[in-house]
Amino acid sequence: MSYPIKGEHLHKRFKNQIVLDDVSLTLQEGEIYGLIGPSGAGKTTLVRILLGLEKADSGRVELFEQRPTLNAFRSLGYMAQSDALYNELSAYQNLEFFASIQGMHGKEKRQRIDEVAKAVELDQDLKKNVSNFSGGMKRRLSLAAALVHRPRLYLLDEPTVGLDPMIRRKLWTLFHYLKGKGATIIVTTHVMDEVAQCDRVGLLSEGKIIAEGAPKALTEHYGVPSVEDIFITIEKEGAKK
Amino acid sequence: MRNLLAMARRIIRQIVRDKRTLALLIIAPLLILTLVWYIFGAKTSEPNLAIIHYESSDYLSAFKASDYTRMSPLQARQSLADKEIDAYVDLKDPIKVHLEGSDPSRNGLAMNKIQKSMQKMQQLSITSMKNQFTDVIKAQQKGIQTQQQIIRQMSEAMQHYAPGALAQIMQNAPKAEQPNQAKAAEKVKLNVTYLHGNDDLNTFDAFGPAMVGIFVFLFIFMIGGVSFLRERTTGTLDRLMASPIKSYQIIWGYMFGFGLFVIVQSFILTCYIVYVLKIYNIGHLLDVLIIVFILSFSALSLSILLSTFASNELQMFQFIPLVIVPQVFLSGLFPIDTLPSWVQAIGNLMPIHYSTEALRNIMIRGTGFSGWWLDGLILLLFSVIFIVINILVIRRARPIAD
Ligand SMILES: Nc1ncnc2c1ncn2[C@@H]1O[C@H](COP(=O)(O)OP(=O)(O)O)[C@@H](O)[C@H]1O
Ligand SMILES: [Mg+2]
Repeated sequence: MSYPIKGEHLHKRFKNQIVLDDVSLTLQEGEIYGLIGPSGAGKTTLVRILLGLEKADSGRVELFEQRPTLNAFRSLGYMAQSDALYNELSAYQNLEFFASIQGMHGKEKRQRIDEVAKAVELDQDLKKNVSNFSGGMKRRLSLAAALVHRPRLYLLDEPTVGLDPMIRRKLWTLFHYLKGKGATIIVTTHVMDEVAQCDRVGLLSEGKIIAEGAPKALTEHYGVPSVEDIFITIEKEGAKK
Repeated sequence: MRNLLAMARRIIRQIVRDKRTLALLIIAPLLILTLVWYIFGAKTSEPNLAIIHYESSDYLSAFKASDYTRMSPLQARQSLADKEIDAYVDLKDPIKVHLEGSDPSRNGLAMNKIQKSMQKMQQLSITSMKNQFTDVIKAQQKGIQTQQQIIRQMSEAMQHYAPGALAQIMQNAPKAEQPNQAKAAEKVKLNVTYLHGNDDLNTFDAFGPAMVGIFVFLFIFMIGGVSFLRERTTGTLDRLMASPIKSYQIIWGYMFGFGLFVIVQSFILTCYIVYVLKIYNIGHLLDVLIIVFILSFSALSLSILLSTFASNELQMFQFIPLVIVPQVFLSGLFPIDTLPSWVQAIGNLMPIHYSTEALRNIMIRGTGFSGWWLDGLILLLFSVIFIVINILVIRRARPIAD
């Protein structure tokens, strides 16, 4: 078993606020890992550190079992919390650009763009300007841009936020499809009904992973009906001590 | 290389599809330069002048009726108060000038004109003096002639009666010296020649090279800075950094993509000021173009650098007073030779300073390559330094081995 992504003893502080406090996390190949936690828990920061967009104060990150290199980024699809699209361009031009800098070209690129556009149901809107897109359409286009170069590892920061339930369900079907093709996915979310879809979840609270495991095992272990309740239980335990 | 081209192509598409930016980049500098051209390039109007107490004056001919209205003292005072005239001259001895005085530039114009008339007046008085002297000399000459005649008659008489005494007198008499012919009165008029430029060179012609630099710099700075800033704030830069693209490809992609518009802009702008506004230019169009182009690059690279320190568009525009305004004042628009040396040193750090110097050499002094290569090189150096810093900044933000 290989580890597509591995972070060890990561610390990060912004000024005097500790955002990550000794976080370690290892993804197994072919799993969907859910990073759950309230807003401000440090999910985005953790993902950015794993990607090398942010430097950890201390700790170590490995991508595909080696120190991150530019080449490793070829196999990596990142979807940021913000949409990160060029509003002046059309949807097609956006995808075309991101595919190009990932080294795709020619016919392969065009076919792949059509493919991912269909996957996120934007194939009818490719010619439209992104500035005319709704929030949900931008979110899906942003996801498509992360998929376009067929990466093996996905880091998706709140991919389903602001989407209606129908589309959200379709996207989760897509994630499972990608997983079925061997991809590893790390998803951050604070939507609790998505938790059950993950193979494993990590609960991030105030810069620490307070619990980690398969959702079912976790709820049984703590004897609570949902993963959400684990946060409350642990908080209570902390208060008792 | 492919990545770099993809970057450049994307930026070109972005600008082409964003009509506002395109207009700001290409048309706005033209509009503003035209405005400046009207302000500085307009022929200055003639001052309105009058004279009083002219009836008995000998110098009336120095004050042409087309330039000086003849007025009575009362009329003149009234017109001056009503700002109908800028000044009037009282020709009663001693001559006095009365100025309206509220607008320094009009004062200057009026004084300039009056001084010219005064020169003419002096010439007139010199001529009249000369005539008087000639009359005096003629009268004296006549006197001398009659005396000489008398002497001749006397010496004839003496030769007749006392030849010895005459010979002695003749021997002791000093030799009369013939006075040199009086030199012709010299002309008082100045003969002016220009090493560079000519009589027609107006303020816009002189300011033009600096103006071109300022506006090209300003607009490229704004557009380049904002567009790179957006890349940061929308998160697209993060997406680029999480892709295999190399740091230098990001920056050079920007340089190339914008470079195309910069070429187009430089070309249109240069042709416009040379052929439409007809700014004084004796140099090669190509030389002008090269300088404008190099300057634009330094503006673009500097704006990308400064966008690092801004977190939104407003903060980007806050750099304008800091970066552009000092350049306007130290660019060579105003003489800086008399400023303290530290101010001059700051001036030497400003790209527009060099573009102005180079463009003046090309357009007004007509020097070829030898007149601008050093300034051009310094501008290029600016760009290279800014670009290198930009690449380092991006590289530092990616703790990944490049
Ligand atoms: N660049 C930054 N500078 C200062 N504080 C930051 C920065 N980025 C994030 N933070 C702080 O770190 C904490 C965690 O943020 P984030 O990782 O975005 O949380 P989440 O994604 O879980 O909502 C927040 O309190 C946020 O204010
Ligand atoms: Mg977040």
